[in-house]
Amino acid sequence: MPQVRIIAKNFMDMVAALPAMKLDKLYENAFICEAILRSLPPLAKKYVLQMLCIEVPVTAKSMEEWVLPDGVSKHRVAIDRLIQLRIFTETVDRKRETTYTLNPIFQTNLKKLLLYGVVLPREPMPSNVTVRLPSSEDLEAFALEQWECFLLQLINSSQIERPSNISSSMMKIFQRGLLSQRDKEAPRLTESGFQFLLMDTNAQLWYIIREYISNSEERGVDSADLISCLLELSFHVTGEAYNINTLTEVQKNTIKDLADLGLVKLQQGRKDSWFIPTRLATNLSVSLTDSSSRKQGFVVVETNFRLYAYSTSKLHCEILRLFSRVEYQLPNLIVGAITKESLYSAFENGITADQIISFLQQNAHPRVAERVPSVPENVTDQIRLWETDLNRVEMTPAYHYDGFPSRDLFEGASDFARGYNALLWEDPEDSKKMSLVVKAENHVHMREYLSRQRQ
Amino acid sequence: MGHGDKGRPSKKLKFSAKEITQLDDEDAYFGGEDIDDDVRDGEGKKRDFTKLELKPDHINRPLWACADGRIFLETFSPLYKQAYDFLIAIAEPVCRPESMHEYNLTPHSLYAAVSVGLETETIISVLNKLSKTKLPKEMIDFIHGSTANYGKVKLVLKKNRYFVESPFPEVLKTLLKDEVISKSRIISEGSRGSDGFTISKTMGEIGAGPSDLLNEAELAAAAEEKETHAFEVDPTQVENVKERCLPNALNYPMLEEYDFRNDTVNPDLDMELKPQAQPRPYQEKSLSKMFGNGRARSGIIVLPCGAGKSLVGVSAASRIRKSCLCLATNAVSVDQWAFQFKLWSTIRDEQICRFTSDSKERFRGNAGVVVTTYNMVAFGGKRSEESEKIIEEIRNREWGLLLMDEVHVVPAQMFRKVISLTKSHCKLGLTATLVREDERITDLNFLIGPKLYEANWLDLVKGGFIANVQCAEVWCPMTKEFFAQYLKKENSKKKQALYVMNPNKFRACEFLIRFHEQQRGDKIIVFADNLFALVEYAMKLRKPMIYGATSHVERTKILEAFKTSRDVNTIFLSKVGDNSIDIPEANVIIQISSHAGSRRQEAQRLGRILRAKGKLQDRMAGGKEEYNAFFYSLVSMDTQEMYYSTKRQQFLIDQGYSFKVITGLPPPDSGPELNYHSLDDQLALLTKVLSAGDEAVGLEQLEEDADDIALHKARRFGGSMSAMSGANGMVYMEYSTGRHKLGKGQMKSKPKDPAKRHHLFKRRFG
Repeated sequence: MPQVRIIAKNFMDMVAALPAMKLDKLYENAFICEAILRSLPPLAKKYVLQMLCIEVPVTAKSMEEWVLPDGVSKHRVAIDRLIQLRIFTETVDRKRETTYTLNPIFQTNLKKLLLYGVVLPREPMPSNVTVRLPSSEDLEAFALEQWECFLLQLINSSQIERPSNISSSMMKIFQRGLLSQRDKEAPRLTESGFQFLLMDTNAQLWYIIREYISNSEERGVDSADLISCLLELSFHVTGEAYNINTLTEVQKNTIKDLADLGLVKLQQGRKDSWFIPTRLATNLSVSLTDSSSRKQGFVVVETNFRLYAYSTSKLHCEILRLFSRVEYQLPNLIVGAITKESLYSAFENGITADQIISFLQQNAHPRVAERVPSVPENVTDQIRLWETDLNRVEMTPAYHYDGFPSRDLFEGASDFARGYNALLWEDPEDSKKMSLVVKAENHVHMREYLSRQRQ
Repeated sequence: MGHGDKGRPSKKLKFSAKEITQLDDEDAYFGGEDIDDDVRDGEGKKRDFTKLELKPDHINRPLWACADGRIFLETFSPLYKQAYDFLIAIAEPVCRPESMHEYNLTPHSLYAAVSVGLETETIISVLNKLSKTKLPKEMIDFIHGSTANYGKVKLVLKKNRYFVESPFPEVLKTLLKDEVISKSRIISEGSRGSDGFTISKTMGEIGAGPSDLLNEAELAAAAEEKETHAFEVDPTQVENVKERCLPNALNYPMLEEYDFRNDTVNPDLDMELKPQAQPRPYQEKSLSKMFGNGRARSGIIVLPCGAGKSLVGVSAASRIRKSCLCLATNAVSVDQWAFQFKLWSTIRDEQICRFTSDSKERFRGNAGVVVTTYNMVAFGGKRSEESEKIIEEIRNREWGLLLMDEVHVVPAQMFRKVISLTKSHCKLGLTATLVREDERITDLNFLIGPKLYEANWLDLVKGGFIANVQCAEVWCPMTKEFFAQYLKKENSKKKQALYVMNPNKFRACEFLIRFHEQQRGDKIIVFADNLFALVEYAMKLRKPMIYGATSHVERTKILEAFKTSRDVNTIFLSKVGDNSIDIPEANVIIQISSHAGSRRQEAQRLGRILRAKGKLQDRMAGGKEEYNAFFYSLVSMDTQEMYYSTKRQQFLIDQGYSFKVITGLPPPDSGPELNYHSLDDQLALLTKVLSAGDEAVGLEQLEEDADDIALHKARRFGGSMSAMSGANGMVYMEYSTGRHKLGKGQMKSKPKDPAKRHHLFKRRFG
């Protein structure tokens, strides 16, 4: 479940970052209010409920009296969050006394919710209309396949079997930051691109959704609308069918994109068409505490640095290739080896040892997952040691000067460089050769100095 | 029997009429080891077998088989045990860590499979049953192709008559078309059958096949008595017939079997295992492979050091109950073998004798056991009168069993000599580390026989049969001063001395010795290949040492003190201690210098502490003691050693061992209580290293087990002592790949002139 919470936090951070006007508009939607309430830290939740029926400002002082001395820091966090999300309005009066008021729209909506109970955004369609709904396994498989296909396309893999419907302009937006392209070369994964691939599905999904939202304005879609649409989606039940005609135009377009990502499955009946949320969609929600959303691990790492991945996925193969040498591909097994060379190329691409190790640990095959540690200690140690090995050498761009006509000039130059604290190395005194190495940033000064001396 | 050399670069082919070979040939058999860079390497090796069809119930099946011969086995499958026994019989293990094993099907491994009685169709059908996917067609073809000719023909010694035997009369006909073979044939009067072949029945194979994996019909077929056809050959022509059957000629390599029960000509030896000698399950299994059909097969049994190879050897001898010639690598292990024979079997003292340069015994009666070294038998020079007599006896006797210890260290040349000198009905080779990629596997396969059994190290550790060793690689940073000298070109010959004498390494070593002696009360062996370092370390730390020049008497004395005295807890060994010296008390090894990238040496050294100690239940998986033995390899950072150490560990890592990297030894707060704390001391040491002669700081030259004659100054030849004594190849080689490129290597700088010898050697020869 930790991943889910991280997403939620991120999602709410995004909500919090919205301008005041949009936030107020968001709170007009009762679902949003509920979702926001659920996402709050426990103490903040309590304050909101406590103040739900208080119409007048409450002083900060009296609120502070509610908490025990050791709870002060939690209290601070809760208040900050509430202010961030504009649920609390902070006012400082002339007597320099701070008071808090609950956001009135938020308050009304939440009260309604409590009085009349939860109303789902829309009812699932009756089963006599939607005859051939996919089983939950099928739906899960669909979601993963769709997501994997999207990722393969995202990283420009040659392994794609069928491209998804996502427009190339949209794809380009997602690829921003993950891929870089130099002239005429094939696009390469950037540092964050590599790291992206090693993240778990939820974290990846969040990244993509965030990009999707933050670029919505370019497509002429209001980001608040989008956020409310996504939050609303998370209140639907996985596997149930919902009529598409109940959606607004904006929402209809959004749902199509989400289908390409595997968040919903679209189906067409004789008269109606409907969408079925998959687990990916409901995972976006804070309320979901389904721990089974964690995928079963598939990687076995042995003490001899060999790596066996029980997977049929091309994407997994691509991911493993990031830091290991894939040697055999079998129908349901990928065999590779973690070598110094493969790791060095991973490090070069900006992947850190910790990321590799946590990937291996998080995806440990059930057979070895219970073992402590799930990845052999000597392997993790070695991966870290190789990484630190790379950091032992510090690179300083420099210039090498030699062929000095005289000892005096050589010594003068070396003194000059020393004056700038730029002398990195010089031939020892007893050596006949006269050469020195100076930091590149001081090359201009050196050149000036040398030409001055020559005159 | 000159077949073994075919296919080897001709420049190395200097063996021939010359008895004593030149120094450069030393790598002919050992150079192979480092060149063989893992076959697994290289991105080009990537294989895509995703198109193989998975069987619907693949989850219940334990293995995948690839078209290129690679097999992956899940060890957590319920069928693991059966699958393991089967795979080990048909394939070469590549690596066997905890969860997943890898094997390779090779012509040699299939040859071995056929020779223990598995048939082509059985191999394919069992493999197919175990495989998660349909077997690739390439693999089936490969098995057919490799087994078509192997194991079809056997050479059987019955009542001292040699028979060529086969269940397929048409194969015998093919063989007889060969001129050499048809000339060697003896047509006896009693032969029946249309082709004049003798027809008899032999017992079916018991226990060799994976019986629980076969259905009843297949099982019945395997156990059924088989009709075999045979013709007799002239005993004097046996070697020629064998040679004609080798892969480079007729390609029907003959298996050798000894029907010892029906041998009435050679006298029986009255010996059997003592009741307390209970072979362990894996020892039993290896013996069952050898005696699977009631006859004794020739071949090699691979067991880790400390797993009780000697009991297997003694058991084999007690089953055959004929005269036995046991060959070991040096005098110390001769003593140990003689001891083992007396320990495990009821053999009487007068029936067993040792034949070394120091003791020339003879057994009484008409059958007995002789324990000697390879060198003693193969030596080509002039011998003392007494040894000449004994060697004559050895040559003239018909041995029931030729027991060969540590077959991995003996050059094929010497094998050939030994085997041609001694007449034996059955040959059993024992080893712990059959490093397989070198070409010598071919020699061993055809000189001794196929690999009959190979135990899984990790399984033995889990069973508590061998010690659970914590392996560690200690990274010692070079001190600034030593590293500066290390990088200088003019010190290229002293590189090794510099990284071995690195003060940080010395301090780490001293720290470890103290820790294990004082905190745990352990017995420690420190290994150093570099003689200069060995002497320096041992002197400084005031510990006893054994190296090539230490006399047999002194060695025995030091080892005895190490075993019994409470004051002697650490000994320093040069590479003489690598093989076969049995020091069961030791449980810690600290390695301060080693021979380049030799995986075999690493494994052999580890083997010194593998003998399990303490109570069995403590050692078993989940028992009290997690680790009861420690193996430290000290390497100086940023030097060649780091590169070598990765290579060296490969074999052990493939057996499932893991090396933990330790940095920060000795602990930063350790001060002058360890030597070389002050910079002055360190600089003094540096000066000492730099001022020593290049020869002095180079590799130790082993004159291991020089024969009595070879030690005689008057008979010394121009070559190196080791070459003369036949021990060339006993020397671990350095720079086997790099030296040709560089044009010079450490081997070339070996002192050939006795005057230039190390002062320690000089004393011996002066």
